[in-house]
Amino acid sequence: MKNAYIWVLWLVNAIIFVLSTRNPIYLFLVLISLFILGNRKTKPQHRKAWFILNLRFLISMILISSLVNGLFTHLGQTKLFHFPSNWLLIGGDITLESLIYGAVNGLIIGSLYLSFNIFNLALSVKQLSRLIPRAFHPIGMTATLALTFFPSIQQRAREIKEAQMIRGNPMKKISDWLPILLPLIVTSLEDAIILSESMTSRGFHAVSNRNQENFSIISLVIGTFLIFSGWILNLFDYPQVISIFLYVVGGSLIIFILLKKGCEFRVTHYHRVSWQKKDIIFCAIFLIAIITQIIFAALYENNFSFTPYPQLSMPSLNIGGFLLSVVPLIPILASNHD
Amino acid sequence: MLFPLSQYWRPTMINIEALSFKYPNISQYALENVDCQIEPGTLTLIIGPSGSGKSTFLRCINGLVPHFSGGTISGKIDVFGSDPITDGPETLAANVGFVFQEPEAQFVFDIVEDEIAFSLENMGVPRTEMHARVDDIIERLELSSIRHRSIHEISGGEKQKVAIASVLVTNPKVLLLDEPTSQLDPISANQILKLCVHLKNNSDLTIMISEHRLERLLPYTDKVIEINDEHKLFIGSPEQIIPHLQNVPPVVAIGKKLGLNPLPLTVEGFPDNVINNKKPGAKLVLPVLQETNSEPILEIKHLSAQINQKAILDDISFNLKQSEILVLLGKNGSGKTSLLRSILGLMVSMGEKYFKGQNFTDLPITRILDQIGYLPQNPSDLLFAETILDELKITLKNHGLEKTDQDLIDFLQQFNLAEKSHQYPRDLSVGERQRIALAAITVHDPDIIFLDEPTRGLDYAAKDLLSMLFKDWRDSGKGILLITHDVEFAADLADRVTILEGGKIIFTGSPSAAFSQFPAFQTQTARLFNAFGWILPEQVS
Repeated sequence: MKNAYIWVLWLVNAIIFVLSTRNPIYLFLVLISLFILGNRKTKPQHRKAWFILNLRFLISMILISSLVNGLFTHLGQTKLFHFPSNWLLIGGDITLESLIYGAVNGLIIGSLYLSFNIFNLALSVKQLSRLIPRAFHPIGMTATLALTFFPSIQQRAREIKEAQMIRGNPMKKISDWLPILLPLIVTSLEDAIILSESMTSRGFHAVSNRNQENFSIISLVIGTFLIFSGWILNLFDYPQVISIFLYVVGGSLIIFILLKKGCEFRVTHYHRVSWQKKDIIFCAIFLIAIITQIIFAALYENNFSFTPYPQLSMPSLNIGGFLLSVVPLIPILASNHD
Repeated sequence: MLFPLSQYWRPTMINIEALSFKYPNISQYALENVDCQIEPGTLTLIIGPSGSGKSTFLRCINGLVPHFSGGTISGKIDVFGSDPITDGPETLAANVGFVFQEPEAQFVFDIVEDEIAFSLENMGVPRTEMHARVDDIIERLELSSIRHRSIHEISGGEKQKVAIASVLVTNPKVLLLDEPTSQLDPISANQILKLCVHLKNNSDLTIMISEHRLERLLPYTDKVIEINDEHKLFIGSPEQIIPHLQNVPPVVAIGKKLGLNPLPLTVEGFPDNVINNKKPGAKLVLPVLQETNSEPILEIKHLSAQINQKAILDDISFNLKQSEILVLLGKNGSGKTSLLRSILGLMVSMGEKYFKGQNFTDLPITRILDQIGYLPQNPSDLLFAETILDELKITLKNHGLEKTDQDLIDFLQQFNLAEKSHQYPRDLSVGERQRIALAAITVHDPDIIFLDEPTRGLDYAAKDLLSMLFKDWRDSGKGILLITHDVEFAADLADRVTILEGGKIIFTGSPSAAFSQFPAFQTQTARLFNAFGWILPEQVS
């Protein structure tokens, strides 16, 4: 599954489900699916490290979130212990429900992080940059590169840490890590400058027509102003048709300018986006999953949701929730070489 | 044709008139009143000491100066009808390719093929044409086996080739290379240079290369531009420029020593009759190792290491003696740096390690580093303090030692840094930063010093200073383990040589044997006088 758009659908589906359900059992299933898929997407020699790193992150998130929520939210009926009421913010009952609620938040954060992590593993920098609309090409490309810069910064940090250890720095206390910071910032900036020089000298952002830059900026400002005006008028007792008219005109102006700006970039793409039979099947599955979730959310409120308040109870389960929990695992059916 | 014009006149590809440039907030000119013309289809070598303006000169030609650097520029540059000063680098990209010194830092994408296609995408080349051009350049540069591989997994030589391919794919008229071989072993460096010559001859490409190691490039050079300390530029044929230089390649030094006229500039151009006439009475240096009486201060027994379940060091055993410089040679990726890191405990390994007969295999790194000073490949990673003195004090503090400022200033004398002891280290030149790093790792007076590529990016003068320093250390009783790709530098210093290949030691012996018997590591002198065992110009009599 190499098609970037299908991976976007996979990500959207995972995010919607993770954010809409607070059911810990479904979240556990999602996490298991994500760990299995992530393990498959990682190179065999890095699998163990990847698993440990992400599991450690997940556990830290659950603990931190549970602790923070437990300390600051005093709802729930199962009291575990009590802090004096005059203690600022944390004073009051510490309840099992608030700890569980925090832990569920941790599961959600962990699931989201893992989803993006797998998305990043599945797509190359090139595929990610391709997802950016043409009008935002230079900014988007720069942002994509900045994101992919993190692994190289990690590598540099390791090298500098080693260099400091060579000078006898034991690297045990927090203050021992300060000498890493300056060389890391300087070398990262130097690398960033070389990269930007390299990109520019290879024709990046060599726009053919930049004559109407001011016109574009003014048009975007006017478009935004029209939409904002429509919203303001809508707040008062003006006829709604005026607001709708302003939304349409402002929105059209912005879309027109962005399309026009996009045409200014003569960028072409080396790889053709593949739409094989199996890509279409995967696409259909994720679309169905997304639409199903939207319909369920509209028709049956709180269908997959769970709250431990006011008193902790067993989360309700249904077949739809189980199925949606394992949808993130579906890309495992595709070969790694697809 | 009545008048074969091309015999008498070649069009000018690059024309520079009265070019002067100053970096922002610096009063001194980086380039001053430069005039030069470069003809198409030629290879021009740009030489000069560090900081003379070689890179600045190259960057002016594709517009990175002043568009990226800022600063004040005057004069005129014409590159096949375009003006880099007004047009900028992105506009010149289709016709001027620029390859930077460190290929890793210039890569945009993670896959070889994607990286090569990047320039074409920016130019809006249609997909079918783009594929044809990428296929063509991959075939010409023999990159088929790595086209789908990650850039992080390929060797240094392959990375440099990919960097060249990614600019050549646009069919530029000019190729600018900033020290392209500084990180490469002799074999990979030679491959890259031969590739450049092939492209020049077959594609009428104009190539300009800035490089410190003249001996590598002179055989292929049509024209030399020398930029001196005062940022003045001299242009001429190699025969006009090279003989007047203070530091010349060994073959030229031998020619001068033997009083040859004209002076040979390359091994191939050295007169055969001089070599043949030497044979009857020449003094033969036997490739026998001169055993020293000193005891080993470092002994390594059966050291092995793996990365990602792949063996990178395989049953390595060797020793380093007091007052000895042991040079470690090997191709990129042969395991040289890993060997040093394994000894220091910076990576996991198996085997035994002894310091003056004491087993230190299980000692913590900090204890090992009390006895061993290690200079890594990138000395800037070591430097972070406000002044050179502070850098030294930090090392001393880490080792639980203390010295007065005066002691430290005295210590800095040997590095020629005493007068700069209160300056900010990162503001100084590459050579000076290298020496600060050396001072920082040796201020606690270790008995053993590990040096990983200490001459990378250094000019002849800076290398001479290092050479003297290392010899002084050896004479004072220290044991030095030196990794370098610079065979001429290594031959000058080595007491003993060990060659690594694929993580195994394939040779340990005398310098004369190593630098004459292994073609990949032959010095210029050895190539000329192999039968005599001579490896240095000083040995030629």
